[in-house]
Amino acid sequence: MYKSYHKKIVASALLASVVFLGTACNASNGTKDTTEAKKPEAATATALPMNTEGFTKREIDAVGPLTPQLSDTVKNTYEHNGKLVIDGGVTYPIVNGKTGAYYVNETAHKTPFNKGKVATANEQKVWDIDVMPDGTGLPEGSGSVEDGDEIYEEKCQSCHGDFGAGAGLYPRLTAGNAYEMQKTLMNQRVNPDSDGPVRVFGSNWPYASTLWWYIKTGMPHQAPLSLTDDEVYALSAYIIAINEIKIDGETLDDEYVLDREKFLKIVMPNVNGFEPDINGPKGPDNTREYYNNPLNYGNGVRCMKDCFEGEPEVQRIAFALTDFNPPLSDEKTLPEVTDSGSVHPGQKTYDSSCKVCHETDAMGAPAVGDKAAWTAVLEKGIDQVYHNAINGINGMPPKGGAMDLSEAQMKEVVDYMVESSK
Amino acid sequence: MNKITKEELEVVSEQVSRRNFFKKTATYSMGALAAASVVAPVTIDASEHVKANAEDDPHIMEHKPWATKWGDDVQVNLYGQPSPYEHSVTRRTTPILSSGNYRASIAVTPIQDLSGILTPNGLFFNRHHGGTPTINPNEHRLMIHGLVEKPIVLTMEQLKRYPNVSRIHFLECPANGGPEWRGPQFNSIQFAKGFMSCAEWTGVYIKDILKDLGLKPEAQWMLAEGIDNSHMGRTIPVDKVLDDAMIVWGQNGEALRPEQGYPIRIVVPGWEANLCVKWLCRLEFASEPYYAKEETSKYTALKHTGKAIQHFYVNEVNSVITSPCPEKPWTDLKKGEMVEIEGLAWSGHGTITTVDVSFDGGKNWVEASLKGLVLEKAWTRFSIMHEYTGEPMLLCSRAADDAGHIQPSVKNERAAVGIEGVYHRNGIHTWEIDAKGEVTNVQILS
Repeated sequence: MYKSYHKKIVASALLASVVFLGTACNASNGTKDTTEAKKPEAATATALPMNTEGFTKREIDAVGPLTPQLSDTVKNTYEHNGKLVIDGGVTYPIVNGKTGAYYVNETAHKTPFNKGKVATANEQKVWDIDVMPDGTGLPEGSGSVEDGDEIYEEKCQSCHGDFGAGAGLYPRLTAGNAYEMQKTLMNQRVNPDSDGPVRVFGSNWPYASTLWWYIKTGMPHQAPLSLTDDEVYALSAYIIAINEIKIDGETLDDEYVLDREKFLKIVMPNVNGFEPDINGPKGPDNTREYYNNPLNYGNGVRCMKDCFEGEPEVQRIAFALTDFNPPLSDEKTLPEVTDSGSVHPGQKTYDSSCKVCHETDAMGAPAVGDKAAWTAVLEKGIDQVYHNAINGINGMPPKGGAMDLSEAQMKEVVDYMVESSK
Repeated sequence: MNKITKEELEVVSEQVSRRNFFKKTATYSMGALAAASVVAPVTIDASEHVKANAEDDPHIMEHKPWATKWGDDVQVNLYGQPSPYEHSVTRRTTPILSSGNYRASIAVTPIQDLSGILTPNGLFFNRHHGGTPTINPNEHRLMIHGLVEKPIVLTMEQLKRYPNVSRIHFLECPANGGPEWRGPQFNSIQFAKGFMSCAEWTGVYIKDILKDLGLKPEAQWMLAEGIDNSHMGRTIPVDKVLDDAMIVWGQNGEALRPEQGYPIRIVVPGWEANLCVKWLCRLEFASEPYYAKEETSKYTALKHTGKAIQHFYVNEVNSVITSPCPEKPWTDLKKGEMVEIEGLAWSGHGTITTVDVSFDGGKNWVEASLKGLVLEKAWTRFSIMHEYTGEPMLLCSRAADDAGHIQPSVKNERAAVGIEGVYHRNGIHTWEIDAKGEVTNVQILS
């Protein structure tokens, strides 16, 4: 789908680059002479092998390579290892007591310090919550797809939707078979109705370790670090199952039990979908090479006259996004003063713990302000509403997941929500 | 004349009533007597002596209440606030830029209302992934461990004993302009380009702390992690850590705002603001990258080849004209008037060297002046004078930096990356100005 489009833009780029070659010139007044003196090491440093695949000779000439205008106080290598700057940029070493425009107390930065205390093994263990692709940080434990399904329905579904299909603007966790969906990463939405690339866990992420780490330390969104390791294994198993990802050639059925050993055998469909290759001892050098080649991410040309043929082709706004809060305004008159009145004791709790779900009915919860919905809720009697709020009902976990709230606070917030919905 | 006479009458009657009041209170308070000599008599309308003509500005001809009454005493607003008249100058949000709720969302900066290169702390771009925490600095710690000889924990007081540096750097979300890969969508500079801000940051170079901890030679990567609800982590190469990465506690001369990571965050100059982890609690060194959630599930730029750029560190050279813009149109200008075109340029690769401006959609260009301080990895102002003709035009800017990078045309950038990148869009930005002086966001595909 993208191919024909790509051909088109390559063709037009070709036309344009002919013009670039003929007219690329610097029409400035020449005041930049001091910075244009190129240092000899800059020329050799940028002579990296370029990834020119898919580009024509003319495009390469038009887009790159970089020709840094290095002055005496700028280097495109690091002081500490003499290598090219990893992001393709420059550095500002200290020259005559200054780095760039800033003066430096060089003595201060050479003075040794022995601040702080040694981190104990326990302290490091408690805080070291990351999980790496090689299994570093991944604890022992296990959980089945079936258990994961149950936990999912209780703690995840209210945001992520049925079977991970997403809800509202909450991320979907699957789009079906991950191996098939991975192929959509070639898609480009050239037309508004064309299919785009599907970037969900199964189709896009390179390593499953990120999933485990994410769930353990980031989910449920309102209560991170609240799931046990076994629960995280169970949820991981469920999410891998609904993405139809095989482990060691095996499809995950309901009874499948995921543990650490099996987890480390997961090979994600898009494991090779990223550049540069950052893994292994050569990772940083690969990165360095990649970003010092502007063809990998685009660069312009400083053409000053007749930079393209004919009239400019203008793309205007097709679908304007205007839902801004507050609305755009340049108004400098004072807004009318409104009497804010006294604040209900339950409002603060509502804002911090309940609003996420109850602000609208998008997640199935009765929306605050929706008179009809709350009339229906109150048919059960206020005591039952208190009870449900404290113990959970339907998709709502006990206390809405905010387990630090007292029963008195829960009653206060129910009162606030009821009063705001009359 | 009748009106003035009536007002004079009112003034006189008010003076009389005030005199009566002071007579009554004078016996109780000598202070009131003193005050009476300052306050009374109440001033008389300026037009008492000058007859106002139609062309006279009534705001000059009439005395204003703020010119004739006391203002607030020094105890009011001990922490200062903007004028209430500036209420429209705020960060703004939109539901489509959230991941479900406003605790994983962004609030964009009104760059149309800013001058110079520093963003006031209350208007600084805000993005978080689990809400803004309120952290007690006395209970906050920074742990540095992993591939170091001496793993340590620092209190905030201990951290601040290292020699500090203050540096002006922009922080830009790599998704700035990201919703517009397939064409313009926001008729607003605040939403089209306001995912960024620039401040003076005060803190310590991480290299200054590391030199006493014994970084092991196999250490190639550093994980930076926050202690907020999202426990966000990002992997930073040691190369950058040993160059200019900082741990900061100061922002424009005061403590970091909670939204910016109070009590401490990382600043990785010129690189994705997402790498500048807020509410920083932990730095861990390793030989392999970490693959944190925000460097695989998000913050990778998918190319038309089907491969995505990961660890896409730097915010490349970029610029935008801030005046005019959709929020600040030219509808008040008359033909033949001179007007200053002004904008912001920035590059995470280095320092801005030139900015060119085109009035015809990028076919022909002229070099603009740089204005004010020109610092590396910081916002840089540019300016060019223009005689307003009332003719429609396509106004765009193109910046270049001292690392040799030049802002690409939209076409060039699409040729290199495609249209599904989401992140790191720095193609030339264009405003279309119509005959009325209204300004609209467009893209030039030539």
